Amino acid sequence: MDVIRTNSLTKTYDGKGGIRDVTLSIGEGIVYGFLGPNGSGKSTFVRTLLGLMQPTSGEGFILGEQIGTVKSREQVGYLPELFRYPDWLTGRQLLDAHAELCKIPVRNRNKRIQEVVELVGMAGKEKGRISGFSKGMSQRIGLACAILNDPKVIFLDEPTSALDPIGRKDVRDLMVYLRDQGKTVFLNSHLLQEVESVCDHVSIVHEGEMIVQGPWRELMTIEAQVEVVTEGALAAPFPAFVVNYQKGSEQGGRTRWLFQLEQERDIPKILHYLSAQRVNVFEAKPIIPHLEDVFMHWVNHKKESGYVDHR
Amino acid sequence: MWTIAKLTIQEMVTKRIFLITVVMTLIFLALYGTAIYFAGQEGAEEVGNSGQGTEVFLMQQFISSQLLGVGLYFSSFITALLAIMSSVSSISGEVASHQIDTWLMRPIARSQFVLGKFIGLAFLLIAYASSLFFGIILLHQGIGADWMSLDFQPLQLIKAVSVFVIQPFVLVAFGVLLSTRMTTLNAGIISIILYGAAFIGGFIEQFGAVIEKASLVNIGIVMSLVFPIDSMYRKMTVFLFDTTDNPLSMAQGGMFTSISVPGNIMIAYAVMYGAVAVLFSIYSFNKRDV
Repeated sequence: MDVIRTNSLTKTYDGKGGIRDVTLSIGEGIVYGFLGPNGSGKSTFVRTLLGLMQPTSGEGFILGEQIGTVKSREQVGYLPELFRYPDWLTGRQLLDAHAELCKIPVRNRNKRIQEVVELVGMAGKEKGRISGFSKGMSQRIGLACAILNDPKVIFLDEPTSALDPIGRKDVRDLMVYLRDQGKTVFLNSHLLQEVESVCDHVSIVHEGEMIVQGPWRELMTIEAQVEVVTEGALAAPFPAFVVNYQKGSEQGGRTRWLFQLEQERDIPKILHYLSAQRVNVFEAKPIIPHLEDVFMHWVNHKKESGYVDHR
Repeated sequence: MWTIAKLTIQEMVTKRIFLITVVMTLIFLALYGTAIYFAGQEGAEEVGNSGQGTEVFLMQQFISSQLLGVGLYFSSFITALLAIMSSVSSISGEVASHQIDTWLMRPIARSQFVLGKFIGLAFLLIAYASSLFFGIILLHQGIGADWMSLDFQPLQLIKAVSVFVIQPFVLVAFGVLLSTRMTTLNAGIISIILYGAAFIGGFIEQFGAVIEKASLVNIGIVMSLVFPIDSMYRKMTVFLFDTTDNPLSMAQGGMFTSISVPGNIMIAYAVMYGAVAVLFSIYSFNKRDV
């Protein structure tokens, strides 16, 4: 069953902004990245899914329950981008209140709260007042709230915005841990590297529109480039799958080439071709495109083609 | 709902403003007690000089009821301001700060959230109003001189305090309603202006009754219908000062008591007014984006 499913879900503000016409389905046990620059409508989408906003049109379901209903939020956790918690409470009191709202049985509460504070690295610190927490600590206690009810789906909206590098790694590890537990993590982020490091599947959104969605590895292969160091005579013409080439430096009889291929699958083919040409290959290195280039590629692709590429 | 109500109470009690309110209330009661004490002493000397006739007795009762009326009027005023200030930000404040997001994404209906907020605030304000009411009565009866003592039956006091607490009930309900639709500042301005209009309407009504001008009385009645606050205070004085076995009504003694008497139907109207405001709050908040 799809954990999250939307059909042309749209939320606009008086016809402007927001996010339009999002159709997606997300299965269980994955980290799903919702990637886009600030102001692209990512948070609006999540807030609409969680019933904090009324959709303008379209429909959405979480674990089969229509969004906006109490039932649709029963097995959900959420860390908002603008995390603000009542500063007059202690971290522990905050977790107690959420445990009560989630109807976690009283006999299990202490154990569960202890588990989550340890998971987010707040053990021992949860007794302090939130007013005395740093931004990072507030974000960590927010994460503890998000996973307190052992939800099947967790929405994390820019979960590392206030964290230092160690904290960011902790959160990435936590996402992987949750995925390994069979949970679905919906990660809203504008940080390409964050998405790249943990997401299995990604949607790219831009200016309120979904541009493309698919497995991250596929989206990354917008162009296949390979750098090869050869020894021996080699000259054009090259086979048809070589879109472009560039001859680089020559040193000690060895030449550095950069081949741009039609697709990633053509990388072994070029090596076979070189071998057939009796050229010695000393090095072959696929070139991974810059994340920004990948992002811009899909943004331009959508502008040119006018449709969402569902892979 | 009860979790939200509990959190609302906890928030009010934990914040520094609660401590300030308690201290200021104690200062107010201390000032009132001091005033009552000296009024009693001064009055006792006057009584000594004037003898013990019926006229003197009536004058004593009039002055005493007025002094009590002043204390209760200002208690009602303080309670009203507190009710307005605490309720107008109850929801809008949380929406503005985004604190509401993590509460509302939990499996609770929005109606439960609104009701929780209302119950928490109403409980606190009603408890505060009752404490203030009995605090003033105790000071008046305990510190005031013998000649100031008024005869109250327990049922009278229960009836009076029950009507006295309708004011915070209505104000909290109205404040929460505004808070579901507008910013704290706008809701506060509207509530205070309406309260002020009801306050002035009440005085116009009393004044109209004294000079027997029906149009002035009607203005007061209309204001009571628009915002049934002052009329509840007036009704409270009727319950407090009127007794069936006393043909002389101390409730009709002056501007801080009630010359133009609101009917019992007004109590039902005020309670309904508050209840409808709560229902509208739920309806209004149910569909709005946060």
